[in-house]
This record gives sequence, C-alpha cells and structure tokens, in this order.
Amino acid sequence: MFATVEEVRQALAGQQYIANDEIATVVFLAEKLGKPILAEGPAGVGKTELSKAWAAASGRELVRLQCYEGLDESKALYEWEYAKQMLYTQLLRDKLADLLADAGSLTEAADRLAREEDVFFSDRFLLPRPLLRAIQNDHPTALLIDEIDRADAEFEAFLLEVLSDFQVSIPEIGTIVAHQHPAVFLTSNNTRELSEALKRRCLYLYIDYPDTAQELQIVRLKVPELAPRLAQQAVEVVQSLRRLDLKKNPSVSETLDWARALVALNAQSLDPEVLDNTLTVLLKYEADVERARRMLRRGEGGGNGRPYR
Amino acid sequence: MEDRIVRFISALRAAGVRVSLAESQDAWRAIEQLGVRDRDTFRLSLRSTLIKDAESFPTFEELFERYFGAFAPPLLDPQSGLSPEQQQQLQEALQELLRELARDLQQLLQWLLNGQQPSQEDLETLAQQAGLDQLSPQSPGQAQRAARRLLALLDWAQLQELLEQLWEMLAEAGMDPQAIEQLRQQVAENQARLQQQLADFAGQRLEDRRLEAAQRRSPRQDLLERSFSSLSPAEMEQLREQVRRLAARLRTRAALRQKRGKQGKLDPKATLRANLRYSGVPFEMRFRQRRLKPKLVVLLDVSTSMRPVAEFFLRLLYEVQDQVQKTRSFAYIDHLEDVTPDLVAHPIDQAVTVVLTKLPPGYYNTDLGACLRQFEARYLDTVDHRTTLIVLGDGRNNYNDPALDTFSRLSRRARRLIWLNPEYPAQWGTGDSDMLAYAPHCNELYQVRNLAQLAAAVDRILL
Repeated sequence: MFATVEEVRQALAGQQYIANDEIATVVFLAEKLGKPILAEGPAGVGKTELSKAWAAASGRELVRLQCYEGLDESKALYEWEYAKQMLYTQLLRDKLADLLADAGSLTEAADRLAREEDVFFSDRFLLPRPLLRAIQNDHPTALLIDEIDRADAEFEAFLLEVLSDFQVSIPEIGTIVAHQHPAVFLTSNNTRELSEALKRRCLYLYIDYPDTAQELQIVRLKVPELAPRLAQQAVEVVQSLRRLDLKKNPSVSETLDWARALVALNAQSLDPEVLDNTLTVLLKYEADVERARRMLRRGEGGGNGRPYR
Repeated sequence: MEDRIVRFISALRAAGVRVSLAESQDAWRAIEQLGVRDRDTFRLSLRSTLIKDAESFPTFEELFERYFGAFAPPLLDPQSGLSPEQQQQLQEALQELLRELARDLQQLLQWLLNGQQPSQEDLETLAQQAGLDQLSPQSPGQAQRAARRLLALLDWAQLQELLEQLWEMLAEAGMDPQAIEQLRQQVAENQARLQQQLADFAGQRLEDRRLEAAQRRSPRQDLLERSFSSLSPAEMEQLREQVRRLAARLRTRAALRQKRGKQGKLDPKATLRANLRYSGVPFEMRFRQRRLKPKLVVLLDVSTSMRPVAEFFLRLLYEVQDQVQKTRSFAYIDHLEDVTPDLVAHPIDQAVTVVLTKLPPGYYNTDLGACLRQFEARYLDTVDHRTTLIVLGDGRNNYNDPALDTFSRLSRRARRLIWLNPEYPAQWGTGDSDMLAYAPHCNELYQVRNLAQLAAAVDRILL
C-alpha cells in the first residue's frame, strides 16, 4: 500500500495530519508487519486524530470502540436483541400456534419448536458491537480502541484473544472469522499500566506535545484564517504555559480551539484583555488560570522575555 | 551488524527493560522492511518494536548511542604536514614544555601532537585511576559522568593553556605562522576525537559492567521491594512517581470487586420494573447493592522513624479516595491532631508537608496511649459499626501507658481494626514496643516495610 515512509507522511498530510518521522515510521511498520499500534501520550495530542487520518489515508472504514470502566463483552462484541426477539415471538404467536396445533404430545411440540430455534438465534437478532462490526466488515477496516487504559484488566485480556486471531465464537451461531484483518489502533493516556501481553503484541508509539515549529504548522494548517504573526505568538504562549507545571497542560486541540476563538473574536493582537477573556479556552482549572495570568503579566510569556502588548 | 543488534538487545534486557522473544523477532522483521541504511529510521524501527514504555526511552537512547553511535575516528598525525626542520623545532619546544609537567599531561600532549592512539593499557590504567568501576552502572547519564572523570584526570582544563604556551614557544623559535595555524587546527580536531574516544571507552566499560552485574544479580531488586528506611532521597522521588500508577491498579481492582459484589440478593421490585417492557417476562435480573464502600478513620504515627511510611500511606490513600466513602485522618506523636482538613484543602504534595510540619518530631516522645484516650474523648463519634479503623505505627510507646482498655473499646466499636507496622514481627514486643499487647485487639495486622507491602495492605483495607 505504502512503499516508503515518506509516502505515509504525505498520505497523512493529505488528511490534514502532520506526522513527524516517528509517527510516519511506526504507521509504515504497522502496515508492513500487520501489527496493532499502541499510542500513548498526554491527552489531546492527536492520538485519536492520527487513527482517523490513518484510516482515511489508507481507505479503510473506521470503527471506534471507546473504552470505559466497566466495559464488557456485551458492549464491545455483540448482544442479542431481546426486545426484538420478544416482539417477534409476540407477533408470530399465531403462526407458532398453527405450527404446534397438531402436535400429539408436549414432547413433540417441544421438538418442533426446537427445530425452529435457529430463527430466533440468527444474525437477524444479533446486535453487533464495534469489535464484531470490525471483524464482519467486508471492506478494509481500521479498528480504533480508544483509551484502553480506562477499561478493566479483564476486558484487556478478552481483547487480547480477539486481536490475536480475529475470530469470535458465538455459542448459538458458531465461529465468525474475519474476512480481512482490520488495522488496529489502540490509544492510552497511561493512567494505568497495561498488561505486558498486550504491549508485546503492539508497536509502541509515544506521542508527546509538539515543539513550537510543529505546533505552529498544525495551527496554520487547521486554522488558516489566523494571522501568521498572531499564530506564532499564540503558539509561543501555549508552549510557555506547558513549561509552567500546571494541573492540566493545554493540549494541541485546546490550542486549536483557542486559535479559533481568536479568529472569532477578530483579535488583532494578544493584548491583556484578549488574553484575559480567552484564557479559559486553554486552561480548565481556576488555579491554572490564575497562575497563567500572573506569568503573562510578569511578561515571561513567549519564552523570550517579551511582554505581549 | 547482526551480532551487534543481538548484543544490543541483551544489553537492553540487562538494563532492566523487558524484551520478549516475540518483540525481538518483530524488531528483525521491522529491520527487514526498513533496512539499516538510515540511522534514524533504524533507531525508530528498533524503538517501536522493542520498547513499550515511555520510561524506558532514555535507557534505549543511551544504549543505542553506545552500540550504533558514530564511533570516534582515529587521531590525526599533525606532524605529517611539517618539514623535518619544523618537526625538530616542535620536538624541542615540547621537550622544554614537558620538563616541568605532571605525567598525565605529558602523555596527553604526546597523544595529541604525535597522533598516537592511546593503547588499551593506557585506557585501563586511566579507568582505574578515575575509579570508573566504582560508579554504579545503573542510572542513565552515568556514561557522560564517567567520561568527564577521565578528562578531569588528564587535566583537560589545563591543556588549553599549555597548548597556547606551546604555540607561543614555536612562534618564538621562528616557525612559519601558517604551519603553526595548521598544527593548531589539527590538534583541536585531535582533541575532539580523543574526547569522543574516551567517552566511547567509558560507555563501553560501564556497559560491560552492567551486563556482568545483571548476570550476577538476579532477580533484579525492585524499588517496590526495598525497605523505606533504606531509600535514598532520589529513590524516594522515583517511588513517589510510582505511587500513582500503583494506586490506579488498586483502584481498578477495588472497582471490579465492587462491581462483582453487587451480584448479591435479587431485588424483586427493581426486576419487575426493569422487565415491564418485556411484558413482565423477567429477562433482566436486578440485584440489590450489597457492598458499601468502606469508611476509614486513620491514626498515623508521624514520628521521625515513621515518616516515610506515613507519607506513602497518605499518598496511596489520597489516590484511592474515590473507592472510599469517607476518610478521617489523625496524626499523632505525643498528642493527636485532626489533619483531615489539611488533606482536603491541599494537593497531595503540599498536604504531606503540611501534615508533617504540623507535628514537629521530638526526642522519644511518642505516646500512643495518651493519644488513644484523647481520641476516645473527642472523636469517638467518627467510629461506628461501618468504620474501618486503621492504626499506622510501630507500637513503640516509650514505656507510657498503652491504654489497652480504650483500644479494646475502639476495636469492639469499629467494623474492623487494622494495624500497619513497619517493623519485622520478630521485633514486636521487644524493648518499649507494646505491639504484642495491642495485637489481640486487631482484626488484621500487616507488616509494611516497603511499598509493595503497603499497597497490598491498602488493597485489603478497600475490601
């Protein structure tokens, strides 16, 4: 599909994703080796975005599984649609009565009913959840398993099983084997140690906050309306905020939100008033906002000692 | 090259990075795809297949540099461009300069000016003098330190001055300024190369020792398993960072238990309600929530010997707060202080300091007995039949009254009474320890010498 690492980078760039060497190399390897990617890093650096760009660049359909505490197989794999089954039995009651009417004994009736059992446990009543959807899909598929660290260790073990041979066995129907191997992308915010077994199966990608030049590039790409000089200043402010040891560092997506906010407010420069009004787009804790204000007032912003006026 | 990659992987393992066979296989497949021509791509393909933890990146980078770094080129011979006459001048100037110098500097100048490689023997001698073998090979960045030591031993700092002196002497002797300039440039180049060579040597040497040590010492002694009292401040800092991840693991376990614990008694009312939409056919069972999150009351001994344990216990407890219904914390040495507000008001790093400064340690003044009486008189309402009472202390009472009657009353009143003691069981009851007297009144009693034990104990508390 991709012949070189450079091609990967260009394909991702075509999806409005700026990939550095590391990202492009890992995606290339994942394609070539057919291995899942495990992406870790702080929240909001574009891990999920990367998987979307990858899926689009490689012409795959994206299936997303968002993990959370308490996620289990029935939410991730498949579920029987009880309500629909109930509805069908109710509606088909007459037909069932016909079928069983001339049965001589209870056993015979039960046997007859058992012969029709397959009707109620067929694909018709199966509600496929993301994992099964990804496996059943006839088109090439990319499976995004988002924030795997939030799921329980138990679910991780189950996932391991699915990811190793891409087949699922449903007792009532049988084994469903994937027509194609989905490309798998796992993200983790590293709140919990993932199991060695899962890590072993994946290529590891650590995505950190981008440096000034890269972040500026991203802002210019995603928010082209923002004046170049202002974009430069904004990115410098964000970069200096990240050095502050805040409760929650501003993420790349928040930088973009901020840039859009600046455009919406038609800001001409980053004067104190504009900063005051928009800082809450970047920072989500009152204490952080206070600290940032103090820093910016002291004029340490931008990392070069130049006050923003 | 293949051999080098294999050695690199075993060096990674020796440095404490877990690399499985499957992962090294992946690395080979990745190299097959991308080749080794481009160093950066090569590095990334190795890293993404072998390293699955951002924390191991520094180790990887250091080792990679060591194994696949650009090796220092050999020294130049600066005299090759000189006429015999000029060489003569140089030798004479050198002779004069060297006369009053220490041996190391003589040697250094010889290497730089004659382009003569330091022999393996010279390097070995240097390594011994620099005490390279005393450096612990474990921490990253140690290689640079070792290289700096070698340079210091060679009086690198003084070298520049001497070289200037030499150029002046040569100029005085009437040497062609152009030749001097050329000589100067080549010597500067040699300096850089020699520095690089020494760094390579130091790194390689540390690496060998690390491999040796890894083979000798197995299994690796983990920080988690080390006793709190034997930790250096740096190790404490490292351990603090681990607390959060450890707590996350505890939390998942506790949450899972909570979830499973819910499968208690059938709740008929809720079941009926839930199944109305299936016309009363009970498809979905509803169960009554049986488990309650524990209510904790903690008594912490914060005297000097107990501080590290108390700190880590507080940190762990802070991190698993969402699995606990309510926590009241009291710190004691000779009297009792309610520290709950401090823990609520500050982020954990500050909170620990605030609590620890609130009760300055005295000299052998711990008095648990008096504190227990104080607790009973003032805070007894915090303990009821749903409360887990936790005492963290060594049970050393300085021969004061242990207030056993109060303790047994508290024990009967609480749901559970858990004692955490950092001392070895063999030490309990020796000297001024009243541990054995308290023990019969405790429901559970744990030794918490290290973080692993402490985490296990906290896990039991959440039960």
